[in-house]
Amino acid sequence: MNTNSNTYTVIYSTVLVVIVAAVLAFAAMYLKPTQDANVKKDTISQILTAATVEASEDILATYRQDIEAAILIDIEGNKVGELSIEDCEVYDNSALKKQITAEPKALPVYIFKNGITVIPCYGAGLWGPIWGYIGFEKDLKTIKAVCFGHKGETPGLGAKISDEPSFAASFAGQQMGSGEILFEVTKPGNRQTENNGVDAISGATITCQALGKTLNQWFGFYQDYLAKNAETCCQTECCEDTCCTEKVESVNTVEE
Amino acid sequence: MGNIKETFLNPIFKGNPISVLVLGICSSLAVTVQLKGAIVMGLSVMIVTGLSSFVCSLLRNTIPNRIRIIVQLVVVALMVILVDQVLKAYAYSVSKTLSVYIGLIITNCIVMGRIEAYALGNKPFASLMDGLGNGLGYAMILVIVAFFRELLGSGTLFGFQVIPQAVYEFGYMNNGLMILPPMALILLGCIIWVQRSIQKDLQEK
Repeated sequence: MNTNSNTYTVIYSTVLVVIVAAVLAFAAMYLKPTQDANVKKDTISQILTAATVEASEDILATYRQDIEAAILIDIEGNKVGELSIEDCEVYDNSALKKQITAEPKALPVYIFKNGITVIPCYGAGLWGPIWGYIGFEKDLKTIKAVCFGHKGETPGLGAKISDEPSFAASFAGQQMGSGEILFEVTKPGNRQTENNGVDAISGATITCQALGKTLNQWFGFYQDYLAKNAETCCQTECCEDTCCTEKVESVNTVEE
Repeated sequence: MGNIKETFLNPIFKGNPISVLVLGICSSLAVTVQLKGAIVMGLSVMIVTGLSSFVCSLLRNTIPNRIRIIVQLVVVALMVILVDQVLKAYAYSVSKTLSVYIGLIITNCIVMGRIEAYALGNKPFASLMDGLGNGLGYAMILVIVAFFRELLGSGTLFGFQVIPQAVYEFGYMNNGLMILPPMALILLGCIIWVQRSIQKDLQEK
């Protein structure tokens, strides 16, 4: 047979591509549930890192045990729903992406028993999406810990936002600002606010700028919620352990 | 049968794809910070080179010559995506560390090189062995480089601390340069140096 004729070439390539596509589609469908479970566990472990909760072997059990409440809020800071703790329901990246609108309808907030409130962020990095979880102390202003992730930032440069421990550590103790600029990730010396930012990573300018922009946007989404619940805290003059539970209750009353 | 054995063993030392042919350098610099990543990467490349050589060899008499390279790429891409999907399902943390490099196996010159040079002219089983052997040769260099980089750069092996605390107290420090890609290149250079001093016939005049 003449394997170099046009007809043969066209038929051959068509058949080959169809077979390959079928194999890939089958593999993707078959492996999807396991992959999804992994992604969920990974998301939860990032949330736990931001909440400074040490994860055990069974991440889901740790989460169930240490979480106080997982709620959904709107942009004005009112509670609009709840995430099931039993099912370890969390917002994954695709769910977070849907919230990036002028007026997000349901933003997740994870409140832990140790008093740390974790909020997510999600945005565009240099090569692909970047995301992160930010844990706030009880004053809902000071950052306790963060955990960032990315899809495809340059290893050794932009990827350092997730795998360079000193970068994540530099967030601890920084505060969310008020006004135009809520948080900055810039070169040292380029900062426009005093306390509301961290140094960018050298060699990763675009990723860091994107991270700063993302943080600003998401802090903006949560600004009202954080301000509202921190206020309740100061009014009742409790900044002890009871504070957190009262905050949760106050959120509940707003809903009613 | 002796030939098959030779086909499999040759790329491990005498015809090693990295240290003799100097192919596939990019990924060997990037994934050798830790042993675990290097081993998974090595295994993945082994599977991809082995299976795609096997499949291409099966198809070798039917492939239209004009779209030869495209057909090879489709087969390699299929294997790479399958490996990537399986890792995502069953070894998620490793697949996260290796991130884009699994997908980039497709651009690894070893895979295409072996298909073009060997699989298209030889029987399927021999091609499978040739692919596996080349993958193993690649994996071996990766593991050697990763061993030194993890040991000297982080003081650990497979994530376990092996350099005792007492040594640090005497003023020993981990070598930060080992964690950065340039050091992998220097180590690779050392490996090539050692191999060429053993195998005199590789030395250029």
